[in-house]
Amino acid sequence: MRYFCFMIIVVILSITVPVSAGYRELFEKEFLSKPWSSEILEESACVECHTSEAMPVELRSIPQEWQLSWHYQNDVSCHDCHGGDSTDATMSMSHKRGFTGTPKYTEVPEQCGKCHIGILEHYIESGHGKALKETGDGPNCVTCHGAHNIQQVSIDIINAQRCSKCHSYDRAKMMKQALFLTDEKIEKIDEDLKQLRSKGVYPEKEEKRLFDTQAKFRTLFHSIDVARVKSETDFYTEQLDSIEADVQKTYDQLAFRRKFSTFLMLIFAGSWIVASYISKSYKD
Amino acid sequence: MWQKIREGLNLRIGLTDLVDSSLKEHRVPSDTNIFYTIGIVTLVAYFIMAVTGYFLLMYYVPHTDHAFSSVQNIMTNISFGWLIRMIHIVASNLMVALVFIHLISIFFMGNYKKPREITWLAGGLLLLVTLLFCLSGYLLPWSQRSYWATTIVTNIPTAFPVVGEYLANVLKGGEAISGVTLTRFFSLHVGFLPPVFMAIVGLHIFLVWRIGLSVPPFSKSAEEEKPWTEYSHTTYAESYPFYPHFFMKEVSMVMLLFAIIFFIISFFPTMFIPEAANTPADPFKTPADIKPEWYFLAPYQMMKLIPNKFFGISIQVIAIFTFLFWPFFDTGDEKNIIKRPALMGAFIILLSVWFALTFWGRYS
Amino acid sequence: MQRRSFLSMIFAIIGSISLGSLAYPFLKYLAPPKAEIKAGKQTIRKSDVGDAKEILYQNTPAIIIDRPGKGLIALSRVCTHLGCLLDYDKQKKRLICPCHAGIFNLEGRVVSGPPPKSLTVIPLKVEGEDIVIG
Repeated sequence: MRYFCFMIIVVILSITVPVSAGYRELFEKEFLSKPWSSEILEESACVECHTSEAMPVELRSIPQEWQLSWHYQNDVSCHDCHGGDSTDATMSMSHKRGFTGTPKYTEVPEQCGKCHIGILEHYIESGHGKALKETGDGPNCVTCHGAHNIQQVSIDIINAQRCSKCHSYDRAKMMKQALFLTDEKIEKIDEDLKQLRSKGVYPEKEEKRLFDTQAKFRTLFHSIDVARVKSETDFYTEQLDSIEADVQKTYDQLAFRRKFSTFLMLIFAGSWIVASYISKSYKD
Repeated sequence: MWQKIREGLNLRIGLTDLVDSSLKEHRVPSDTNIFYTIGIVTLVAYFIMAVTGYFLLMYYVPHTDHAFSSVQNIMTNISFGWLIRMIHIVASNLMVALVFIHLISIFFMGNYKKPREITWLAGGLLLLVTLLFCLSGYLLPWSQRSYWATTIVTNIPTAFPVVGEYLANVLKGGEAISGVTLTRFFSLHVGFLPPVFMAIVGLHIFLVWRIGLSVPPFSKSAEEEKPWTEYSHTTYAESYPFYPHFFMKEVSMVMLLFAIIFFIISFFPTMFIPEAANTPADPFKTPADIKPEWYFLAPYQMMKLIPNKFFGISIQVIAIFTFLFWPFFDTGDEKNIIKRPALMGAFIILLSVWFALTFWGRYS
Repeated sequence: MQRRSFLSMIFAIIGSISLGSLAYPFLKYLAPPKAEIKAGKQTIRKSDVGDAKEILYQNTPAIIIDRPGKGLIALSRVCTHLGCLLDYDKQKKRLICPCHAGIFNLEGRVVSGPPPKSLTVIPLKVEGEDIVIG
């Protein structure tokens, strides 16, 4: 009887498998193309057109550059800077849909400043910003950060090669020195926080405080005013010290946790040994 | 005082008699091995889950906006919340492992055979309930890992033609994992599954107690060979009382379980909580390298390997049914697996396929 | 027999220590959470607030705003995006984040920009000339 049942199952299976083979495509569409199986490639009219053969070569590499950028990793897309409508190919570059296109050289800071408000403020007041306004030829955002392949910044963006394109490196070097210690401290706390995350802690509050401090500090740098950076360093050191103290508290807490549960482990291991001796004594 | 209470209870419910008849006079074979204790250790693991679960419930909020932060609150602000949650996490994984070991050892010793078929069936169902516990409990912290691993696992039913999509949507309460899924899984985890588990465990233990422990087939003093024509408690050539002989063995194993739990919490605290488990769920960002838990890796890898998904899931469904009803297929008298090379070979191949798939899934 | 009773005694001792040390965290867990105890109320004179006043509430920067026609509200100043501190723009009646231009209205809801969630609203009560926060 049971072999009969088993055979029936096998027969049903061998019939349904070829029948359902056509179902395979449907299934793969549903099962394998869902977001978890691969990254969702946003269907964007901008990217589609700009990567096509019809596009001039110098405009064709833009999507690729963007896909390597820090903006891409943080979900900042074409229309966030250039406006327009990425969902509608025909109207994508219509000014009615807010398309602004490539900004003029002198208008770049305003375009970036749509989001980076604090940095724009400091930049406008700085020597860099004033030069741009007065001569139309000073450095704008793109001069240092690039346009589409924008990377996460580090202090190394200040280097002899980049700065001496326009002026001597001496003043920039002084700036870098003024920034150095604070920046190093930021990096260290950032590393510690990453460590904490891998140890099963979610240090959201500290991460946010660090980001705030770091962002403010980077903003301040855009004033390219060495005296001002130096005079405000104490404030940042204090902020960072307080974050560091909180991080240290979390590390201490982790150490306590380990000690406490090791104690529990040892005492239960002791109980285990004694209990197994008792249980053996019953057998003798 | 103690004496008085005992006498009072004796008078009313016949305590001494009850203890004598159900514990002291209950015989167990004297050549049991360490695997005979795994069942009760698993049950203790379940109670650890239940107790720590009650405590977690005090602060957990099953809502997409608060689930993650309430779990973080337990981990950082509530005193010793971390310990209770860590015990819950580690014990859950150990419990799955214990259920597996229990089943494998029972299978290997042929102890599912007549008259213990129903005991096996109940045990198999308990494994499925345990896995459902895992699946539903997994989503509750609402972290990146729980969100995406649940997305993967709840997509598996879509492999069924016609009803698959419907099944998956009922499970998820919609097209995607959402707040509806969270409350669904929450009610499943704390409301529906525990009584189901307790009922099946009750049946399981009753059967073990009523029929009596079986003797390992390899021992010299094997069970008396006789056809099972009418009910009687199993009799043994050599035996000792359940209490205190076997009981102390169980107690020592339970202590070992606790020691192992705290060993993992002390030295491998992140074993079961990788970084993605510390990040709040984000439906718009698929984390790289997301994998189901280790006990779902083998079926997951199998689904990935077999090109025809319906075939893949059919194999799994048939495997589950064969596993549950195995004692009804395998009705021969021979208990000793060493004398049955075909079964032994198939069993070892299955186990190694399972391990291979798990490792493949883990490192692919 | 002697040996067994000795072992049993040891087991009774070590077993009760183990259970006691395990019960201790569970009992501590039931104690009222620290955050609740700390959540002391904060009082500020109404005349000190003016249009808006930045305060520190439980170590988190916050702001009390006297909204024209709508009364007082206390909001967290931490942007829900990456944690920069928001600035109050009195003219445009909004809170703006200097980092990525996240904009919140004076109810704490996101108007535009990257922030994923509304701001935390801190409970506030007016008692005569005092404002009680928390």
